[in-house]
Amino acid sequence: MIGVLARLAQDTGDGILVPAEPIQAGVTQIATPEIQWVALLPHLILVVGGILLLTIASLFRHRVPRWAYTIYTVAVAAGAIIAALPLWVRVQDAERGPFSAIAGALGVDGFSIFITVIICAGVILTALLADGYLKREGIDGPELFVLLLLAASGGTIMASANDLIVLFLGLEILSISVYVMAAMHARRFTSLEAGMKYFILGAFSSAFFLYGIALVYGASGSTNMIRINQYLASPTGVVLSENGLLLGGFALLLVGFGFKVAAVPFHAWAPDVYQGAPTPVTAFMASAVKAGGFAAMLRVFVLTFGTFSGDWQPVVFALAVLSLLVGSVLAIVQTNVKRMLAYSSIAHAGFILVGVEVATEQGTAAALFYLAAYTFMVVGSFAVITVVGRKGDGHHELSDYRGLARRQPVLAFVFTILLLAQAGVPFTAGFFAKFYVISAAVDAENYSLAIIAMVSAVIAAFLYLRIMISMYMSTDSEAVTGEPDRVPVPLAAGIALFVACVVTVVIGFVPGPITDLANDAVPFLVQVG
Amino acid sequence: MPNPLNELLRQYLTVAIFAGLGLAMVGAMLGVGWLLRPDRPEPQKYINYESGVDPLGVMWSQSQIRYYVFALLFVLFDVEAVFIFPWATRLEAYGAFGLIEMAVFIFILALGLVYAWRKGVLRWV
Amino acid sequence: MEAFLDGWGLTLMVFLPLAGALLMMLIPRSHEETLKVYALVFSVAAAVMGILVMIWFDYGQAGELQFVVDRSWIDAINSRYIVGMDGISLPLVALTLLIVPLCVIYSWNHFPDPKNPKAFLILILILETGMVGTFVAQDLILFFVFFEVVLLPMYFMIGVWGGEERLYASIKFFLYTLFGSALMIISFVAVFFLAQDPSSGDALRTFDMRTLSSIGQAGMLGTAGLWIFAGMFVGFGIKVPMFPFHTWLPDAHTQAPTVGSVILAAILLKLGTYGFVRIALPILPEASEDWAPWIGLLAVIGIIYGAICCLAQTDMKRLIAFSSVAHMGFVMLGIATLTDFGINAAIFGMVAHGLITGMLFFLAGSVKERYHTMEIKRLGGILLQAPRLGWILGFTAMASLGLPGLAGFWGEFPAILSSWNPAAILPLETFRTYTIVAAVGTVLAAGYLLWLYQRTSFGRPTEEFATEQFRDVEAPEWVAWVPMLLLILALGVYPNLVFGVTDDAVTQIAAAFGG
Repeated sequence: MIGVLARLAQDTGDGILVPAEPIQAGVTQIATPEIQWVALLPHLILVVGGILLLTIASLFRHRVPRWAYTIYTVAVAAGAIIAALPLWVRVQDAERGPFSAIAGALGVDGFSIFITVIICAGVILTALLADGYLKREGIDGPELFVLLLLAASGGTIMASANDLIVLFLGLEILSISVYVMAAMHARRFTSLEAGMKYFILGAFSSAFFLYGIALVYGASGSTNMIRINQYLASPTGVVLSENGLLLGGFALLLVGFGFKVAAVPFHAWAPDVYQGAPTPVTAFMASAVKAGGFAAMLRVFVLTFGTFSGDWQPVVFALAVLSLLVGSVLAIVQTNVKRMLAYSSIAHAGFILVGVEVATEQGTAAALFYLAAYTFMVVGSFAVITVVGRKGDGHHELSDYRGLARRQPVLAFVFTILLLAQAGVPFTAGFFAKFYVISAAVDAENYSLAIIAMVSAVIAAFLYLRIMISMYMSTDSEAVTGEPDRVPVPLAAGIALFVACVVTVVIGFVPGPITDLANDAVPFLVQVG
Repeated sequence: MPNPLNELLRQYLTVAIFAGLGLAMVGAMLGVGWLLRPDRPEPQKYINYESGVDPLGVMWSQSQIRYYVFALLFVLFDVEAVFIFPWATRLEAYGAFGLIEMAVFIFILALGLVYAWRKGVLRWV
Repeated sequence: MEAFLDGWGLTLMVFLPLAGALLMMLIPRSHEETLKVYALVFSVAAAVMGILVMIWFDYGQAGELQFVVDRSWIDAINSRYIVGMDGISLPLVALTLLIVPLCVIYSWNHFPDPKNPKAFLILILILETGMVGTFVAQDLILFFVFFEVVLLPMYFMIGVWGGEERLYASIKFFLYTLFGSALMIISFVAVFFLAQDPSSGDALRTFDMRTLSSIGQAGMLGTAGLWIFAGMFVGFGIKVPMFPFHTWLPDAHTQAPTVGSVILAAILLKLGTYGFVRIALPILPEASEDWAPWIGLLAVIGIIYGAICCLAQTDMKRLIAFSSVAHMGFVMLGIATLTDFGINAAIFGMVAHGLITGMLFFLAGSVKERYHTMEIKRLGGILLQAPRLGWILGFTAMASLGLPGLAGFWGEFPAILSSWNPAAILPLETFRTYTIVAAVGTVLAAGYLLWLYQRTSFGRPTEEFATEQFRDVEAPEWVAWVPMLLLILALGVYPNLVFGVTDDAVTQIAAAFGG
């Protein structure tokens, strides 16, 4: 068609439309990259799954029962996990190793697969949770599930990006989906507020992030991570860093990541948004979105800018310390359980930042283990909050938990286990998560950070105790003054809770398998081509 | 050896000069106009211009959300066109690969339209 | 049999109570009697395992770890499941295995509000697993895990079944201990990374306490050891509790239900002192030498401070709690001498204090059940109203103040004596000063205990209780108390029951200090 147009333009004899060099019949073809479809499969399953669901649902809106969406979403996420497993085997094969999916834009290594599986697990649990929630709140439609799948694809792309532009694409796919998800409960004012707040601040942070990419590109001449890495290792790279352009890029990228993972001082949105968003969405934000953000952060800073770790480590150190202390201290003074856990998730981000700060392979493995363990703990916790929130998603005050142990001992027990896990008590996943991070810090001789982290863990423990006290140790006066009814636990949410709880405890007893996986999941910058 | 960063910044010098000149030019035009024109303020002159008709109501009025949806759809397809034009000029070089890529792109956008249509946002209510 | 015990003895002993707890979770709450029987059966079963282990224990080689099981656990951090028992662990394990079934028996009809025997008994069994596990663990991480497991059941026990101020007390208890644990785990991890093989200089990267103890100072140079010891010091010191870290103890004891207080006093406090003897001293001998005078100082401050506080108390349970601070001061003083003699005394002191103070808390609980108050002012004339209870209280108070012929004496007296001649490397004058101060402490102990006994048991009942009839000691109480009373007497008459077992193992530890 273009050829016809060009010929037409020539025929008129009018100079304006004639291309400077008329296109010949034998055009030099632009070399298209070789695509490893197998490697793309997990991302594709998520994206296509999301789009397909949207199409089906919009065409046959009233003929699809609601539970079908849930099952579909779970199946798609499970499919993505299954598609990722052969890749793991291939990557771990010493002879073949990590490889590039598209011309150095997307890499497949143990790290990206590990995060992909975490995110998909987050999707499955969130979908199970959302099932009963949507029914209770009377929200119709598959939009939440569609956005869930798309957001997950964004997260997996972030985790496997080997190019800053691709990373940004993943970030935006993830973020925009989650903005909408946060505002999903359109009848609740706070939900809309959360969506708006998240959108505006998120857009800001994306701008920072993009500018950071631009500066890094300006300093290094490439957006491809391995080229950046090689350039920074070369003599010219060393000269450049003294000129500040690169350091400016680091700073802006850190701001962008700081927003995404809700690290202090870029955390201001998190409590409001976590509190306002529909609770299953909050669970997703705290688990999968954080996983995606940290995956990208580890890949960009620890791996790509690893040779300049001396320049960014002090800043990450400050972020980690602030997140740990501010998160735990502010969490204590809240009276709203959802908000408490929002602040506590800031403190958890601080812990993972400790793993980032040490900038060693051990630190990366520790951060990965933490993310894996935290995903189950936090989704489980928010699952309880979803259920206890009752219709309207508004009963989140500490007083709403009073006497829960008497009314629903099993639910209270499960919540207790999950809270203890978050506090880092032995025989739960949380203990080893904290332990590995601390070990990594001590191994890097970063004792001050290790001590601050543990002290903040003690402060945060108080918060979990407060919730447990409400559940178990309420005074008997409420028994007289009319107790609220038992809250129904939908089947799907029950399954999610069960899975989260079992995984948390099993990892707590036998952390070995996950530890080994996290150790094998080293990030790797794949060669271009 | 010239410092590569300075080299880079020097290339931006053109941009800086261009921007400076642009600003200076606009400033000069407005400034000259301000110096030359007569200045006789009247209330009528401060009324919004609506093609000669006297405006009704206050200036800050809410517009219909219906327009918003259409504006959104317009922007969507406008941006689509922005992508398609440069692609079209180099289609032969891209070959079948490019064709498929663009087909996927348009298909996804079309799905969005289908969704909007089934959701009923295209109906003027 | 021996092969079975070698492989499974300790593991079964540790995990039988936990298995029982899990089983009990499946039984509905309404089957109270069944639940009680199960709890008793499992705690007794653990005790039977303990007895078997003790029968087959080779007392000729009490210095060596026996029944060692060494299995891989968490390979990634090279932490292994290692359990073993030697002369130091044995008396404490025995104490735990004895006290827990007695507590179950005692609570048979004495469940504090809000009842719920199921949850209460489950917590006791979980506690037992944690406590026994701590005493037999030979891997730092395993030790830490068991050490922490103890924390939660006790927290719930105080927080749910406690007195008026239970929330405050339980949170204080939990946060204090957790803070100590936080520093402790950092110390353990630091040991892991810094420990070197002294001959080759290679990093060892192990949590195995046997290896770490055998190389001494973990092959560490410089001041690192001092800091690591400081971390452990705070961690164990809070649990003991040593003087500036003790403030959680009176609150926790006063608010805890009787059984909780008993377990807390009898066993939990020993986890801290045991940690010093088992971990801090052998793994970091050089740092111990530097810290020992300070430990000694805090110990004697604790002795005097605890005693003075006791004199000022108006609440019987709180008084006993403060007397724990003083008594644990003697134990710490014994440890601080770094001598064979002192550490032996300390271990004896732990066992004796466990029996005696545990007993005192049982008695306090029974008094409270009858009089519904712990205020010393309102009590009086127990000997008239419940003579047997009164006599047992008198006997135990005598034991507590260190009357020769009863167990308390052998914990206190040798500890004081040993501080006259501390290890050669320690400053002699300082420790001799400690000796004198500690000796004054025993006088004060006699003072507050006799005064307590006099005010509560002698004389006539106060007016408000004058006309009331009280039950004297009842069957479950007899069953729970008689073994403890007999042991107090037996250990007092024949202290070699403990010294004979511990001496070999203690000598090995003290050898590092030239003792």
